[in-house]
Formats: sequence, structure tokens, C-alpha cells
Amino acid sequence: MKTEERRSLGNEEIKTIIMTAITGAAFGLLYGYGFEISLWLGTLIGALFGAAIGLRISKRPPRMEYPIALFHRIMLAATSLLLTSFGYSYLLDQNLSQTQQYWAAALPLAGWTVLIISIGWAIASLDEMQRRIQTEAIAIGFAGTAIFVGGYALFQFAGLSEVNLGLVLFAMSGFWLAGKLWTLWRYR
Amino acid sequence: MDLVEIQVKSKLKVLRAERDWSQAQLAEALGVSRQTVNAIETGKYDPSLPLAFKMARLFGCSIEDIFTPDDTERD
Repeated sequence: MKTEERRSLGNEEIKTIIMTAITGAAFGLLYGYGFEISLWLGTLIGALFGAAIGLRISKRPPRMEYPIALFHRIMLAATSLLLTSFGYSYLLDQNLSQTQQYWAAALPLAGWTVLIISIGWAIASLDEMQRRIQTEAIAIGFAGTAIFVGGYALFQFAGLSEVNLGLVLFAMSGFWLAGKLWTLWRYR
Repeated sequence: MDLVEIQVKSKLKVLRAERDWSQAQLAEALGVSRQTVNAIETGKYDPSLPLAFKMARLFGCSIEDIFTPDDTERD
């Protein structure tokens, strides 16, 4: 039985490395395009970086609450988000008509949808207490982001530069992490 | 109507110790994480009814044998 477990773990390790390498490559492609460096170089560096992370995860797995198959699915969803974002950036730089630009702008939404569905699956696969921890963390993340954006708007009226999406996403992740750490501490 | 909040006391740790099970073994039998078993034992988390029934079935007793209202702190 132990031998079987080891063999299947070996397959999972390879899958993990491939998944993280693909996601890394998509990330590198997007960054390569965004920062106007070689697309091949960006993709290669991204893939190598992703594979290194995958190898690290396989060698010393972190304490994950999710089955590894779900981790792979989230990686695929993240890849689809990165590739649709790349497609969006690339297409907007072409000479498209206004209608075509609207269609291009809708591309990343498909990636976001796939990612959010995968995160939903991941949360649904947790047990009841872990699901509560995640739900509370998301609620804190949502409330914190709302306060942050509302507060920032007041400063914006006073002359601060316009809020950008990156800052909002950063605030959302930060508040979610703070919420998760707080609820983990509560149920420790 | 008296709407006093009821704290729940669990005998899960005792029942588990009687059977010489680890938290991880109990968690596996219940299909939850070890962290959840620990939170229930320390009274940080009250399980849902389906999970409580699962525990009762596993230990071959009733839910009331595992969980009792804890009135000691308020009265």
C-alpha cells in the first residue's frame, strides 16, 4: 500500500511541476509583453521560475487544506486568466474597431470567471470549520476593501491621484490575508 | 423569553482518549481536518448537527453524551 502511495505521489509531483511551469510561462508571457521585453525570454524565465516553485512544493509540500488536484485546477484557472489578460493587452494594441475593442475588453472576464469558479470549488471542498474560516476571511476582505476604496475616494476629492486596479487588488488580498489570520487565531 | 447564550462543553477529548485515538485519526474517521477536531475539543468551534451525529455514530452514543450545555460560567 505504501509503494502505491509513493508512486501516485510521484505522478502528482510531476503534475504539480508542469502546472506551475505552465502558469509561470503565462505570467512571463504577460510580463514580457507588458514590459516590452522578448516574449520568448519572458515565457522561458516564467516557466523556469514556475517549475522551480513547483519543485519546491513537491519536495516540501506546504500544509494545504485542499486536495492537490484542486491546486492544479486553480493553477489552470490562473493560467487562463493570465492568457486572456495577455490576449486583451495584445488585441488592444492592434488597430481594432470600437466594437472589437469592447469584445477584447471582455476577454479577461472569462479568465476571472474560471478563476472564481475554481476558488469556489476549493472552498466547497473544505470541511465546515475551514469553510467558515474562509467565508469570514472573505467577508473581512470585502468589508476592508470597501472601507479602503471609500476612504481613498475622500482623499481623491482632496487631490490625491486616482485609485488604480492594482492597488485595489493589493488591498483586497491584504485584507483577506489579515481576515484569514485573525479567524485562524480565533479557532486555533 | 430567556435568550441567554448557551456555551457547549464537549467530551470529545475524553472519548477519543478512551479509544486511544489521535486527533488525526479521529479527523480522518470524521472526514474533517485535524484543526477542526482540535477546535471542537477546545470549545472554540461548535460542530454542525450532521457532524455531531457523525461523531455520535462513531462513538456509539447519543449527541448529548458528547456535547452538554455548560452553565458553570454564567450562574
